[in-house]
Amino acid sequence: MKTVQTEVPEALYNKAMALVNEGWFHDEKDVFSEAIRRFLDTHQSELMQKNIREDIEWGLHGDD
Amino acid sequence: MTEEARDIVCDTGPIIHLDELGCLDLLTDFQKIILSVSVVEEIEKHRPLALTAKLPFQVLRAQNPAEENLATMCRMFALDRGETDSLIIMESHPDAMFLTDDASARIVAERMGFRVHGTIGIIIRAIRRKRKSPAEVLSIIGSIPLKSTLFIKPALLTEISARIKKEFNV
Repeated sequence: MKTVQTEVPEALYNKAMALVNEGWFHDEKDVFSEAIRRFLDTHQSELMQKNIREDIEWGLHGDD
Repeated sequence: MTEEARDIVCDTGPIIHLDELGCLDLLTDFQKIILSVSVVEEIEKHRPLALTAKLPFQVLRAQNPAEENLATMCRMFALDRGETDSLIIMESHPDAMFLTDDASARIVAERMGFRVHGTIGIIIRAIRRKRKSPAEVLSIIGSIPLKSTLFIKPALLTEISARIKKEFNV
């Protein structure tokens, strides 16, 4: 496991802690790990390249 | 032109990125630029001058989504308020185009069957619409890392430029 030190807005931290306090997560580290995992799922390099390539083709040859 | 001007519903990113690149005027090509109140608030926070541009902005307040499916996907993909409100507005403007540079928002838009593009598409489209020359667009693409907060990996920027050069023999 890697240790990362970062700053997050207080409101975001409070929301994460609310989930912990309600018993949905063991601690705030679990919340942030899960949030990052989900972000990385939808921001894969291949997916972002596909979006750009679709935009290139639309830009060059689209009809609107 | 054979194409009719279309309305666009715009997320925060493209407005900011186009303004950073001095290209916000490319949006005059569309009939209306619909912004949610939350998107306006985000732009006011990060790039307020962009809202002073003489563009056909229309600000709408998003209501509750008509489709529970959309609300669920917005939560699943952890979309922010601006992205979610823009997609809710798209529900009532299905013929509009959604502009976003966010990968998650784009996935949800595509799943909902909406037309969706991003900043790069708008810039390249300027050649087809005869608003910019290929050389001008190449210059804008080249300036993205220096002038814009739109993050695109260098290899892909090179690929975009190569594609334009090949298409127009420049």
